[in-house]
Amino acid sequence: MVEIDYEKLKFKAGLEIHQQLDSHKLFCECPSVLRKDKPTLVIRRKLHPVAGESGEVDVAALYQSSLNRVYEYQAYDTTCLVELDEEPPHMINQEALKIALQISLLLNCKIIPISQIMRKTVIDGSNTSGFQRTVLIARGGFVETSFGRVGIRYVYLEEDAARIVGENVFRLDRLGIPLVEIVTAPDAKNPIQLKETALKIGEILRSCKVKRGIGTIRQDVNISIMGGNRVEIKGMQDMDIFLKVIENEVLRQKKLLDSGNLVGMETRTAQKDGSTKYTRPLPGAARMYPETDLPLLKISRDFINEVKKSLPKSKTEVRKELSEKGLSSEMIKLLFKQNKLEQFKELLKIVNKPNLVAKMILIYPKEISKHLKIDLDVVEKRLEERFSDVLQKVAEGKISESQIKPALESIVLGKEPEFESVDLGEVEEKIQKLIKEKPGLSEKAYMGLIMKELRGKVSGKEVIEIIRRCL
Amino acid sequence: MEAQSGDYVEVQLAKEIYRGVLLESPEPGIVLLKLDSGYNIGFKKKDLLGVKVIERFEKRKEKKFVLRRDPSKSDIAMILTGGTIASRYDPRTGGVDPLDNLENLFKFYPEIFEKVNVAKISAPFMKPSEEMDWRDWKTIARVVCDFLNDPSIKGVVITHGTDTLHYTSAALSFFLRDLNKPVVLTYSQRSVDRASSDANLNLQCAALMAISDVAEVMIVGHASLNDDFCYAMPGTKVRKLHSSKRDAFKVVNSSPLARVFTDRVEILSGFRKRSKGKVRLDAKFEDKVALVKIYPGQDPDILDFYLDKGYKGIVLEVFGLGHLPSFRSRANWARKLKQVIKKGLVVCAAAQTIYGRLDPFVYSTGRDLLKTGMIYLEDMLSETAFVKLGWVLGHKEWAKDMESVRAKMLENFAKELNPRLS
Repeated sequence: MVEIDYEKLKFKAGLEIHQQLDSHKLFCECPSVLRKDKPTLVIRRKLHPVAGESGEVDVAALYQSSLNRVYEYQAYDTTCLVELDEEPPHMINQEALKIALQISLLLNCKIIPISQIMRKTVIDGSNTSGFQRTVLIARGGFVETSFGRVGIRYVYLEEDAARIVGENVFRLDRLGIPLVEIVTAPDAKNPIQLKETALKIGEILRSCKVKRGIGTIRQDVNISIMGGNRVEIKGMQDMDIFLKVIENEVLRQKKLLDSGNLVGMETRTAQKDGSTKYTRPLPGAARMYPETDLPLLKISRDFINEVKKSLPKSKTEVRKELSEKGLSSEMIKLLFKQNKLEQFKELLKIVNKPNLVAKMILIYPKEISKHLKIDLDVVEKRLEERFSDVLQKVAEGKISESQIKPALESIVLGKEPEFESVDLGEVEEKIQKLIKEKPGLSEKAYMGLIMKELRGKVSGKEVIEIIRRCL
Repeated sequence: MEAQSGDYVEVQLAKEIYRGVLLESPEPGIVLLKLDSGYNIGFKKKDLLGVKVIERFEKRKEKKFVLRRDPSKSDIAMILTGGTIASRYDPRTGGVDPLDNLENLFKFYPEIFEKVNVAKISAPFMKPSEEMDWRDWKTIARVVCDFLNDPSIKGVVITHGTDTLHYTSAALSFFLRDLNKPVVLTYSQRSVDRASSDANLNLQCAALMAISDVAEVMIVGHASLNDDFCYAMPGTKVRKLHSSKRDAFKVVNSSPLARVFTDRVEILSGFRKRSKGKVRLDAKFEDKVALVKIYPGQDPDILDFYLDKGYKGIVLEVFGLGHLPSFRSRANWARKLKQVIKKGLVVCAAAQTIYGRLDPFVYSTGRDLLKTGMIYLEDMLSETAFVKLGWVLGHKEWAKDMESVRAKMLENFAKELNPRLS
């Protein structure tokens, strides 16, 4: 690999992170769910050029419109007239506002007490209204990195756009899902610092109520080197290729400049192989004007204080809590490393056995992957949504703890696990009967007899517990 | 140097300094600042330690606008009266201002000018339609009349707020006698500053209808949520039936006159043909008329109030086939109606159900009420009935006795009655 002297190149880079919040839509009460089924209603619309504040028609807007496109919008029973642009927006979603404020405070930002919800002109069809609603809620924060602070310029709360599902066809399920947009200052002096910044922000986001999974976070990187223009790279949410893409982009820019060419002000998209692909010229500042259908957004001292009280705990605090619950430090480390804290907490609600749940989500997938010779990613994907089902069975006493792993294995293989229903109550009856029939034996002896009958269906640990209770 | 809205300023607060364009705020005690990023934020006036002007607002010199007239296209006239369709957002004040000249009109709706020449334009007043009354209907009718009697003008398009648009369309339907050319009212439900505004299609379709052969007063607007075609709807048989949707206006107890695309008109029902004659203005109006909705248990003594206040006529929006609380009820309207009608108050009945025709003969309540002398207005919309009653009573020769009023109220002047409902 080529050694790059980032300092000498006057490398400048910043991040723009869009993260969906886990709440209903920002300006209506519709649930934030994505649909795969057939729409219940399809409508066709045209967008036309609008004269800007100074009277001129936006050039980019005019270009798009001159194509005289007809956009098709797919609506569902989970969308309403607001997404169809047939009803004014409702009051801003207070839960989403609260989450966005939490994130802002964790990023050390100052909250803007009075702000105006704006309409940002978007004329590519992805918004039925022709604009995206967005509001500046905080500014002037920072995150600490091992190379020093990286500034957080702005935090915005905005609505997501409709999903494109075909040529000029948009699905309204995503339109209106609340997003926070975080814009950092171009303070990162090298790619590693930038990656560290992204990870730090990601960690803060995930400590709050945000959506998880593919498509719920979108990360863009802005890069420039001495003598060149700013280039925006979209699709940088994959942290595995993050450094490679930046290195490649810096080399691309350097090569252009070294050979006397210009670096275009452009948007590029990160590719899986670590390269980038030209997408379009960098858009100019979008036209913004107020959302006149809504009052000014005022964030009171009281509301901020309330949010401050409800801030999610720091890593150190969480670590302490988990350790008090009896989770080994090894497991705690893995939980953070694999970023499964939220999942862990959720599953713990079903069966309150921290070590069991941790083992189930942290260790078993690896063992299964090794045993079945299937990629860990694949195993995890197949299991992600199923852990709760299996635990539920444990909670109901329908399967024993020892059956968890075999059950997960069959799920990975695409087979629905079949459980011989072993009721722990029945096991207890059996044990009591045995003790009555053959009194005076040792724990171990009873254990041996029972396990002979029930091996694989119930764990030795469970049996010994029952025997001790009965004796 | 006092900072004014539009100026680029530096705002000094206790701990921070912001720069941006100073804007007026919709709320007193608050000033807004447009930051360089385009976002607006607000400050309480009392928190400002100082405001320094960096650059004064400079009004752009707007180029004189010359509209080229295309001799291959027909000339129409436009009347702007206010409402969403004729408003533009003013970035300096943060308010919404009327769009009252050709230049602004062209900026927002260039496509209408591809279909017709907007040869004349008039803005007699600018108000949201909820603030209009019968005097405004008269004013509009007068301007329309002048335009229609100008041989160079092929038709008239009127832009109007939506809230009371169907009252105005009914009024024009009665006020303009011997109609010779199309009179098209149109609107928008979505503000014109957005790329998705329904005004664009509505205006294009309105322009096409204005040069058609349909010499009727009509409302042209979205037929559905799609931006594909509009309906031309008869002015006395149309009602706003949704508070926010693009297709808020629906024909009631009749059918649309035409389906209007941006490039063609498909006629759907019979219409009055364009003619060479002159239109006659007959805008006499008695404003002592009222429209009252009946509700269960309502006290009929409310009629005394109207009588005391000098009202000449009243339209009651009645239940079902034409019913009111009557002889079996604690509030006996039949007796009261008899009294007030005897004293000279004209009382008409229109359907609260919106759709359908009144028929007092089906139930005994109806037959009882019929004896009071109340005029049953068949399938006439209550809003149309209210306008028509004012118009009829405005004519002294018609208002001379109850029987003549009844005859005029039941005479079909502008398709307000439809004997054949389907």
